[in-house]
Amino acid sequence: MDTREIFERLDRVFQDVFDDDTIHVTPKTTADDIEDWDSLEHITLISAVEREFRMKFKMGEISSMKNVGEMASIIAARAKG
Amino acid sequence: MVFADLFFIYVFLPLCLICYGLAKKLSTKNIVLIVFSLIFYAWGEPLWILLLLFSSFFNWFIGILIGKFRDTPRAKLAVGGGILVDILLLLIFKYSAFIVENLNAVSGAAIPVPQITLPIGISFYTFQAISYILDCYWETVDVQPKYHKFLLYLSLFPQLIAGPIVRYSVVEQEIDNRSVNATDLCEGALRVILGLAKKVIIANNLWSIVNTFFGKDITGLSVLGTWYTIIVYSLYVYFDFSGYSDIAIGLGRMFGFHFDENFRHPFACTTIAEFWQRWHISLGSFFRDYLLYVPFFGKPRKYFGLFLVWFCTGLWHGAAWNFILWGLYYGCFMLFEQKMGKKRMKKWPIVWKHVYTKLVIILGFGIFYFENLGQLGQFFLNITGISMIANSAPFTDPMTFSSLRNNIFLILFAILVSLPVLPKIKSYFLESKNDTVYAIGRVGSVAVCMVLLAVVSVLLVDTTNNVFLYFRF
Repeated sequence: MDTREIFERLDRVFQDVFDDDTIHVTPKTTADDIEDWDSLEHITLISAVEREFRMKFKMGEISSMKNVGEMASIIAARAKG
Repeated sequence: MVFADLFFIYVFLPLCLICYGLAKKLSTKNIVLIVFSLIFYAWGEPLWILLLLFSSFFNWFIGILIGKFRDTPRAKLAVGGGILVDILLLLIFKYSAFIVENLNAVSGAAIPVPQITLPIGISFYTFQAISYILDCYWETVDVQPKYHKFLLYLSLFPQLIAGPIVRYSVVEQEIDNRSVNATDLCEGALRVILGLAKKVIIANNLWSIVNTFFGKDITGLSVLGTWYTIIVYSLYVYFDFSGYSDIAIGLGRMFGFHFDENFRHPFACTTIAEFWQRWHISLGSFFRDYLLYVPFFGKPRKYFGLFLVWFCTGLWHGAAWNFILWGLYYGCFMLFEQKMGKKRMKKWPIVWKHVYTKLVIILGFGIFYFENLGQLGQFFLNITGISMIANSAPFTDPMTFSSLRNNIFLILFAILVSLPVLPKIKSYFLESKNDTVYAIGRVGSVAVCMVLLAVVSVLLVDTTNNVFLYFRF
């Protein structure tokens, strides 16, 4: 799976979770850039990403990911399809 | 030992800085800091220092075990056992009396209530220790192989007693690699003085107002008097605790450590969620990372997690029902805002947003203040005017007016400083491209701090009790 595909699929997940079709994520996107992305929505987001890519984040990763770029690298290393 | 004390400011701190400066190697500097930190703690807690030493050794050892048994079930056992013992120590030393009292009340038994004085700072350093072992287990930090370096992290006197709850990852690199230049020393000292001024000049004076009105039975206290005092109390808690955090962050800086900010002008918030992103940030982020995101029955549970976090936030503040109530009260508003949605709340008029948040926060501090539930009920009867309608309390009283008249400048000044005004003035001067304006800013900030230090010192000569509110947590 290449980076472009990951970001396209992440876009769809983000748009779905935050109910906003205008969202387009980049490696530099952080929670500050998306209004509804708070600690509670982060839980919903993480489960949605895990479902989409059929993978699991490790506990430490959930709180330590600095931006969507870091999320994408973890997905690239671990996604099953 | 407390920060707002002439002995600390003029003897302990200078002595520590001199020894620190004289030490050539960083490893010696670290030893100096450990020795001074232990003296600092033992000054007020000659016995409980043993508990601090035990907790630090135990958690360091758990870290070693996690590293040794990495990726085996034994690592899970080590981290689980570690957290269990940490929580057990907290339960014994902080909550045993509360638990026994409630057990007695429910069952009618007469178990003797343990009389344990709270070891100062236990809530803070235990949370730091838990964050460390979990971080080791989740591999977000490296296991610290040297005990004395872990002891330095846990016992570092600037943050030992009342936070911020510094994460190991924040100081991990700086334990082995840090330097202090003239700017660090100067900026750190200015921050310490600012924190002392917040505590000694503002918070202490606000506290005497609170004590005049709330220091006795509040039955019969007027509606306006109750509102006035709880607003003053809200300001007091902010100045007391954020002043302490300023001192902690400033002291850390003077020794080359860069702690994260713990307060970012919380009263400027427009939602309750934002309030908690600005108030006691290190506690909120602790519960977010180590409780909210932790899976229960297979995965993180959003709403279960939310109320668990707020229950624990309340309980963390003290072993009494009002604190639990206070936590859950915030949990309800968090849920309300979550259901309302940020987008919809953003459309509210700005005045309404401020009225809503300030009302919630101020009434919340009422719950926070009254550990006696009878008095808490009376507080709500007074503040809502029900007491007045029932003819048991007046709308206003002369004492409130005279107190307001005498303290109006202090209160207005406190409100002004609690909003992001000072940083704006600071950045106007210090980010100016005009050399004269910049120079005025530099010299001015030092001059203001010197005056503040002089005032603080004079005020401290006459006061004997300067314990910070958060010492009891």
